[in-house]
Amino acid sequence: MTASVWAYSESDSAANELAYVANEIANAVGGQAVTLEMDRTRAGVSSAGEKLVLKSMSAPVDSPELAAEAMSRAAKASNPSVILVAATRQGREVAARLAAKLGAGCISEAFKLSASDRTLVGERSVYSGKLVARMSTPMPCVATVKVGSYPQLKGSEAKVEEMDVGELVPKVKRLHTTRKQVGTVDLKSAKVIVSAGRGVKKKEDLGMVEELAKLLGGALGCSRPLSSDLGWLPEEHHIGLTGVSVRPDLYLAVGISGQLQHIAGIKDSRIIAAVNTDKDAPIFQASDYGVVADLYQLIPALQKLLRARRS
Amino acid sequence: MKVAVCVKNAIDETELRTDASGRPLLDGAATKMSTFDKNAVEEGIRIKSSHGGEVVVFTVGGVDAKKTIKEALAMGADRAVHVLAELGTLDSLGTSRALAGAIRNEGTFDVILCSEGSSDTYTGQVPPMLGEVLSLPYVGYARKIEIGAGLAKIERSLEDSVETVECGLPFVASVVSEINEPRYPTLIQIMQASKKPIAEVGAHMLGPAGLSGGNVAVVSMTAQAMERKRVMIEGTAEEAAEKLLQALIAEGVLPR
Repeated sequence: MTASVWAYSESDSAANELAYVANEIANAVGGQAVTLEMDRTRAGVSSAGEKLVLKSMSAPVDSPELAAEAMSRAAKASNPSVILVAATRQGREVAARLAAKLGAGCISEAFKLSASDRTLVGERSVYSGKLVARMSTPMPCVATVKVGSYPQLKGSEAKVEEMDVGELVPKVKRLHTTRKQVGTVDLKSAKVIVSAGRGVKKKEDLGMVEELAKLLGGALGCSRPLSSDLGWLPEEHHIGLTGVSVRPDLYLAVGISGQLQHIAGIKDSRIIAAVNTDKDAPIFQASDYGVVADLYQLIPALQKLLRARRS
Repeated sequence: MKVAVCVKNAIDETELRTDASGRPLLDGAATKMSTFDKNAVEEGIRIKSSHGGEVVVFTVGGVDAKKTIKEALAMGADRAVHVLAELGTLDSLGTSRALAGAIRNEGTFDVILCSEGSSDTYTGQVPPMLGEVLSLPYVGYARKIEIGAGLAKIERSLEDSVETVECGLPFVASVVSEINEPRYPTLIQIMQASKKPIAEVGAHMLGPAGLSGGNVAVVSMTAQAMERKRVMIEGTAEEAAEKLLQALIAEGVLPR
């Protein structure tokens, strides 16, 4: 029997990344990569091998709850060796539910996966990025893949199969969905990010930091206290373990002390620079360039230089 | 309203040290209540204050976990159930099954809360697994919870959208940190907490499923290489700004 490796994400770009990983693992175990989709094939989603579309006549498979149930029924019918899910907020739920339904092991947030001898091995960050843990679990198993760790597979034609998973009854009912207010620049694709922390004394002063970000052609981010405790910026600006993970060319932290949970979200940046009044702030240990200065003096000085360069 | 809140006594990642070969020194490492769990405890207390009832804290962990339990009790939880198990001997599914067993032993709860993930390993698996093991409605990443007659209306915060969902009671939810601002216990509350009951449960009391999981094992842990230049720039604000700009241009991250 050929082993199969399944890949699923509700996001098209993450699904294409998973198709790439599924292909790699399928090659390692001598099996077939299968991209899973719910209800219908999505035009933007590639597949390394075949596409399997899971359908139910009773309800659209449009929530993590139902996707996990549909996938567990399909898995019980066709015994995949590995099921990969993108580690988005919905994906983490799908994977965990699925692992519980199947009684299978689940490796989470892996940035590197390998398979041999009916075992899946994944590497992931733990303790806010201080350590890398290598985890292993016997197949069949589930894993979530940290989004952005692998390239995306593009443009392959796939054979499409459909499977009816039977009646699905949701326990959670969606009433409505609203789009989050997203800034003009996307932090995940920004080349330059200027990020503000507790060192900024009042909300109005964020304008100064935002202007610096604009002068550098970048986006405005923040550490958790500003979006969570103080509510000065929408949650979408929050960079860190529980927020967005970023990898810009330049990450400039102003007035951020550098809690590990913040560092976890910026460690893949190419260059990290930091401005802080406290010379012992942990952010300096995680930076390429550090300036011990008051941001209220340094930012205007930087702005002046940047404006002079422009004119 | 009976509210269960699951908390984890986690290794304090800020205190964690590694040896010369990069292996973590986990034995005797400092622990604390997992950072985001405070939001779950706070939400439990808030639900109790508007609907009455009690808040029971559940944890799976070694003797060291008493510290975390007492912190939750000081914040306002009424009592606690401690499933004794050494940290690291259980994977997420094993932990979920242990928590589910302990929760079932205490009767029926209306609301079961967790945080979105723990500050040490941050897998975020236990909350949805708990929902599955208990066969209850589950809503992840809740940023607002409103409880009415037999129904809960919850806002779940996803990457680029917010979903408003509805489910019946009882339910399991994980909360995100923006849901509330956790309170700091007063000295009196800390003292009173030591009088609140803590029940200890052995794994054997949780039935055959207790303490068995999906067999995820940690093969190794090594320090993450953090190779940063750590160049400190000095001078007046004007001088430092100039030097910083030149350094960033030389790095090629800003245009010449």
